[in-house]
Amino acid sequence: MRILLVEDDPDLSRQLKQALTDAGYAVDHAPDGEEAQFLGDTEPYDAVVLDLGLPKIDGASVLEKWRRDGVLTPVLILTARAAWSEKVAGFDAGADDYLTKPFHTEELLARLRALVRRAAGHAAPALVCGGLRLDPRAARASVDGEPVRLTSLEYRLLHYLMMHQGRVISRTELVEHLYDQDFDRDSNTIEVFIGRVRRKVGPDRIETVRGLGYRLHPLEGETAK
Amino acid sequence: MKAGSLVGRLIWLAAGWSLIALLVTGLALSAFFRQAAISRFDQGLTDVADALYAGSTIDPGGRVLAPALTDARALRAYSGKYWQIAEPAGKGLKTIQTSRSLWDSELSPPPFAVADLRPGKTVFYDAKGPVDEPLRAAALTAQLPGRKAPVVFIAAEDRTPVDRDARRFAATTATALVLLGVGLVLAVVLQVRIGLAPLFAMVREVVEVRKGKAQRLGRAYPKELAPLAGELNALLDHNQEVVERQRTHVGNLAHALKTPVSVMLSEAERHPGVLAEVVTSQAEAMRDHVEHHLRRARAAARSQGAGERTPVADVLEELTLTLERIFRDKNIVIDWRAPDDLAFLGERQDFLEIAGNVMENACKWSKGRVRAWAEPLEAAGRFKLTVEDDGPGLPPDRRDEVLKRGTRLDEAAPGSGLGLSIVDELARAYGGSLALSSSALGGLMIEIVLPRAEL
Repeated sequence: MRILLVEDDPDLSRQLKQALTDAGYAVDHAPDGEEAQFLGDTEPYDAVVLDLGLPKIDGASVLEKWRRDGVLTPVLILTARAAWSEKVAGFDAGADDYLTKPFHTEELLARLRALVRRAAGHAAPALVCGGLRLDPRAARASVDGEPVRLTSLEYRLLHYLMMHQGRVISRTELVEHLYDQDFDRDSNTIEVFIGRVRRKVGPDRIETVRGLGYRLHPLEGETAK
Repeated sequence: MKAGSLVGRLIWLAAGWSLIALLVTGLALSAFFRQAAISRFDQGLTDVADALYAGSTIDPGGRVLAPALTDARALRAYSGKYWQIAEPAGKGLKTIQTSRSLWDSELSPPPFAVADLRPGKTVFYDAKGPVDEPLRAAALTAQLPGRKAPVVFIAAEDRTPVDRDARRFAATTATALVLLGVGLVLAVVLQVRIGLAPLFAMVREVVEVRKGKAQRLGRAYPKELAPLAGELNALLDHNQEVVERQRTHVGNLAHALKTPVSVMLSEAERHPGVLAEVVTSQAEAMRDHVEHHLRRARAAARSQGAGERTPVADVLEELTLTLERIFRDKNIVIDWRAPDDLAFLGERQDFLEIAGNVMENACKWSKGRVRAWAEPLEAAGRFKLTVEDDGPGLPPDRRDEVLKRGTRLDEAAPGSGLGLSIVDELARAYGGSLALSSSALGGLMIEIVLPRAEL
């Protein structure tokens, strides 16, 4: 397992490198954003520990660039910035986990283990419907290559529609698959989620079949797979 | 200077000035009219006196004989039109002859010395008639040929009609001027209202900024108000800048302190022992203090009435995406609901902090289900954010504890345990409130009331 550690504080870097090495990882260390950018783009890491306040290029920009370049390596942000606005911005940039300083080394190692395990999880084939693509492994969706961020409920809804694309699915059926417990089974809520998903993937992909339910299909000119 | 009302001052000033001008005009007009009427009246009297003089003859005995005047009114008793011919006698006048209308009375003597009567000169004066009516009289003194002593020809007439006309004129003028005055005041009120309209518009805009409907003054103002609008906007920008600077400063301080604490903690972890235990517990205490005070400083740096609108739905969605990722191993599903047009009156960072901490707390204790929904309240300008989970919940007697600084009910749960006390402080800073109760899902239900930005 190969880890990229991006941290500018020399003491903390030394400690973390030691702890990670002791835990059995191979560790590369980048003290600034520029080097981190280069290493992340060129080397196949299993996970990255990324500080946000970095010299040269800040951590969030490095991460955004990686995600644009298609680097899917799980990234754990390690920062002193604990405000929710900063956390949200970190995840928005493409982070997979977020740990605020000061922290216990044990917790960092545990989070890292979880990240690596998830990334190596069981492979499932991606679902495709025209320009819409759903990757169950990473729980990520994209439209024409652009990543779309979905909440769990939105993801579940879209996943079910994609599994049964071309077929009309009733609201009751959708509710049953949206909530796996007996929880808030009001079929009106389906409209809320259909609305949200439509806003994210394009309004014409999900068709309302009056009185029957909904149907997902590719846009005209796209081919279904 | 007394504050008072600007509109009131303008109106009173204009009204006061108009009132004085109208009063003077009215008095002057009445006086002129009266003057003109009397002067015309006097002309008539002069004519009568002249006719008396021209027609009078002296008989051989030296007596004055009055002409036969044709005016019928001079013949009817007490008709109001009189004449009298007299001659000076000592200090008074001795009557020679009177009109028949005077019957057996005489005109009252002029109120001045007889010596003032010079031949060829006509003098006018007010007198009393035989039936006490007010008279206007003209006395012409002349020298008749064949007679040494001068003769005074007096013509008099009841002046009541003139006085009545003057009074009527004065009344009509007063009515017209009062109407004009009312019209002027109304015009002034209108003028002030229209003239000051941009000022009122500015007041409304400032109110909107404070209510959070606008960030700055956006209208174009006339050149007298434009500098004020500019300065207000500059002040708003400056406020914003100060808040930003405070936050940056506070953030930098946090960053600077937290890395050394991290180093101490992790160094202590690697070298177990009594010293390490002390260092660990003290470093953790430092961490909690730093966190608490920095968050407080941040909350205090928030400027009241900065007028920001933060859409609630956006924040709840961002937090849902973030939290579901953070708690991915627990497979937490967050069901969030909020009307699209609902907005928090305040800064995005603060609402993220409030909702983020509450929702994170719910995720932490949840077995998989978290609900977060926001709804506007009936009470003006407020909305309620409700967050509930299906976790173990919290017994009522322990609910107060979690709002105290740094209380961790479960030492094993991750996080510093500051979350809910921060939320409570922030909500209070915004004039809102936080309440804990039991959820239908089985866990804790947290309800937070916050100010709502109006559309």
